[in-house]
Amino acid sequence: MKKALKLLSLLSLISLITIFNGCKDDDPEPENIPELITKVVLRFTPVGGTPVVVSATDPDGEGSQNLQIDGPINLSKGTTYTLTIELINGLYNEGEDGYDVTEEVREEGDEHQLFFGWSNEVFSSPTGTGNISRTGIVNYQDEDDNGRPIGLTTSWTTAASSTTGNSFTVLLKHQPNIKSSSTTSIDGETDLDITFFPLNIN
Amino acid sequence: MKKYLFLLHFLGYSVVAPGQQPDNCNLSLRGQVLDESGKSLPGATLFIRELKSGVVTDENGNFSFSGLCPQSYVFEIQFLGFETLEKKIRLTKSDAINFQLTPENKLLQEVVVSDHHQIVNKTNTFSTLTSGALEEVKGKSLGETLQGLTGVNSIQTGPAIFKPVIHGVHSQRILILNNGIRQEGQQWGAEHAPEIDPFIANNIVVIKDAGAIKYGTDAMGGVIIITPADLPTDQKLGGEFHLIGNSNGRAGTVSGLLEGGLKNLEGWGWRIQGTGKKSGDSQAADYNLSNTGFQELNYSASAGYHEETKGMEIFYSHFNTTIGILRGSAINSTEDLSNAIEMEPPQYTEDFTYAINQPRQEVKHDLLKLNAHTRKGNNLFNIQYGLQINKRQEYDLRRGTLKEIPALGYLLYTQTLDVDWEITKNENHSRCVGMNGMWQDNNKIDGTQTIPFIPNFTNYSAGLYWVEKLATKKWDLDFGVRYDFRYTSVVGFDFRNELYRSQFSFNNVSGTLGATYKMNQSSAFTTNLGSTWRPPNVAELYSLGTHQSAAAIEYGLLLDELTNEVLDIEDVNFKTEQALKWVNTYRIQKGKMNLDLSGYINYIFNYIYLKPRGVTQNTRGVFPYFRYTQTDASFVGSDLSVQYALFKALAIGSKVSLLRAADITQNDYLIFIPANRYEVSLRYEKNKIGSWVNFYTEVKAKYSATQTRAPRIVPIEDIINAYEQGTDLIGEDSQNFDFIAPPNGYMLLAFNAGISKTLNNSKIDFRLSVDNLTNTSYREYTNRMRYYADDLGRNVAFALKYSF
Repeated sequence: MKKALKLLSLLSLISLITIFNGCKDDDPEPENIPELITKVVLRFTPVGGTPVVVSATDPDGEGSQNLQIDGPINLSKGTTYTLTIELINGLYNEGEDGYDVTEEVREEGDEHQLFFGWSNEVFSSPTGTGNISRTGIVNYQDEDDNGRPIGLTTSWTTAASSTTGNSFTVLLKHQPNIKSSSTTSIDGETDLDITFFPLNIN
Repeated sequence: MKKYLFLLHFLGYSVVAPGQQPDNCNLSLRGQVLDESGKSLPGATLFIRELKSGVVTDENGNFSFSGLCPQSYVFEIQFLGFETLEKKIRLTKSDAINFQLTPENKLLQEVVVSDHHQIVNKTNTFSTLTSGALEEVKGKSLGETLQGLTGVNSIQTGPAIFKPVIHGVHSQRILILNNGIRQEGQQWGAEHAPEIDPFIANNIVVIKDAGAIKYGTDAMGGVIIITPADLPTDQKLGGEFHLIGNSNGRAGTVSGLLEGGLKNLEGWGWRIQGTGKKSGDSQAADYNLSNTGFQELNYSASAGYHEETKGMEIFYSHFNTTIGILRGSAINSTEDLSNAIEMEPPQYTEDFTYAINQPRQEVKHDLLKLNAHTRKGNNLFNIQYGLQINKRQEYDLRRGTLKEIPALGYLLYTQTLDVDWEITKNENHSRCVGMNGMWQDNNKIDGTQTIPFIPNFTNYSAGLYWVEKLATKKWDLDFGVRYDFRYTSVVGFDFRNELYRSQFSFNNVSGTLGATYKMNQSSAFTTNLGSTWRPPNVAELYSLGTHQSAAAIEYGLLLDELTNEVLDIEDVNFKTEQALKWVNTYRIQKGKMNLDLSGYINYIFNYIYLKPRGVTQNTRGVFPYFRYTQTDASFVGSDLSVQYALFKALAIGSKVSLLRAADITQNDYLIFIPANRYEVSLRYEKNKIGSWVNFYTEVKAKYSATQTRAPRIVPIEDIINAYEQGTDLIGEDSQNFDFIAPPNGYMLLAFNAGISKTLNNSKIDFRLSVDNLTNTSYREYTNRMRYYADDLGRNVAFALKYSF
């Protein structure tokens, strides 16, 4: 019995030592964080004109500080714009892999779709208030491998009369295995949901 | 004693002829087994220890043995509800004898002994699931199994994740002892269930006061003690085999066990055991719950040596599970949550499948235990070493190929060393002193491509305790003190994905005082006052991020309110959580009545909880966010369990659990506190029907009331709309809140029946049970799935057990 006790203590000691030594006290490796979107840039480009650029920046990712939007979207009345959307992961430096999330979304276009919502009467085309309310129209200018719209490039014609203080919402949905002609803005998971304010037509 | 009980299951009716007999072994012994009033007891078992065999009395309570030798034999006579009688009889000639049994005094009988340790003090308030009661719920998870006890509930995430709750507290505030070892896993998440296969348990004891200081800090709500059967010490090969089928989830469970001794090695015993489970999607009353399948593969092996004064044992177990989380509960933003709450049936509801996709959890747990004890006179020395390896990985719906890699992954190593010394001064006075040491190391599993939710950490803990027990004719008394020290070192990543390091240590004292007043043979009053503390969990200090299927961001206590920078613990006003729990229990067991009534008050000072602090916006939308904050909380409640025998075989039973929990500093309610519960059951038992034995049938009605003591309701739309108008509905007053109202109360009916058949040297048990008999649609307040889907519909389970 004494032997057994001795054996037991010895075993405990050995395993303790082994595991203590096996424990690494080095700094853990930081993870790559490819999914985070910290900045969204909307670029409204009129034919032959200078683009109107507005961005929304998240200063601290999961932190509690609010999103910052750098100013109003000021568009000219009766003008057609091409809207391109850029998605950026600020945990990476410009030029690094992972910095540009836009490309990733485009590559996986068959499981992503952008939806838009805006105040009534802001655009003459598309009319209505957008497709976040499920039924409206958006002029998509890009498509995925299945011919379904993505929404990274869209076309907009502003109303003929001035209007101020409107809102403009961009919603990116991840719809793995379900994206189809019947899926809408309520399907899938939200990757991006930002309301820009104000949108002025002068 | 337990192991003989176990063996007795395997005995036949006819006289068991012993193996080899010398020529003069031709004596017989006959007689009757009677109760205290002289009535015969049919179906009583008689066991001869030396021969390791026995018989069962016939319908007139008669028995007979033949082929006995002229020597002394120890007879053990057992009958349900009676004290086991042990009698040594010296046979010189064939003889006749009557054995008279006395009704058992359950007040003292339930105290479970394992490995020469007395697990429960006579001054504890506790409930026990005996091997018989466990048999009737075999196949269920640990948390679900424990729900049968008054005062014990669970925080649930879907149909497969049950986290035990004792008197309203859970996770880090209760302790689970698995085969003598303090269970250490990733207990910080509400959706993290204990990693234990209940098939290894021979009995489960839940101590509901804070008095179990022998087992360490953290036992603020109580202790769950899971004990396997003692290893066999004879050479006989024994075993059991379970087969269980469930209609809901089209689930199957297979479990087997083999045990025996070693030839020529007196005192050695071994056991191997394994369980496999597979379930597809569960079903609510009206629809399939997509992606709620799960599977489990567990095994264990043990070997040991036991004799009168010493023993040692080695035990190894492996637990491995994959659990699907309801697909429709996978959300990424508050808008998603709002949609998911509205949808009925949930989004992505598809046809039944066994496939388990994202989101899901994969959890493994390994336990190695070595222990030894030796007795010298009145001294008993115990030493125990444990190694646990816990691996948890959680898979989420992520972009592209990322969904194939876990979004969360941790590996936790824990080593424990326990040494104690028990001194039995005399029959009425004993003492136990001991120490516990623990070393723990938690590391993220690299490659998750997410900012880790909690940091890596290393813990060193040590504790010393002293427990004194005294008994008089009328009183049992005990008191104990304990001192603990813990040093923690963490290294993690902040919101910018930049490294931080921190160290801190805590030490504190726990104490307990308990007394039982034995009013008479059949009733006793127990009171127990315990003060205990716990060091904070790293999740409470450093959490950063969003939990699976919860549209809320969580921040640890040490993250700065404004900048989210990680602060030093010295710089925040942190105090360790300290509980003071007082439990009073009255037990009476008289005639046809068996009653157990207890009332408790548990004050937890510096109670750490997730307090809603405001609304923030990031690129995925508007989120409420919560910070771990401290307050004082109170849990006041009472439990009642009563059985009354209407007739000899028919008993009516009732269980009631009442609880009120509140944040007393803020004068607010806490969330996810179990509602009041009431249960009524009618049970019929018959020991013998023809050649069948142990028949029982039971009807149960369980009513769970609506939780009216719940925080205010703030619908998501209101939060978002107000935020757009520039108002922060949550941050305004920081009162607790819930997105939706607590679900309505519900009543469920259940039916159970079982019968056994003994064959020559083996026994077959059949069991049928139906849960949610009426296929009621309901939602349970403490099930996190309630936001998205109904709870489980009807389940019919059939179980078969073969033992030899």
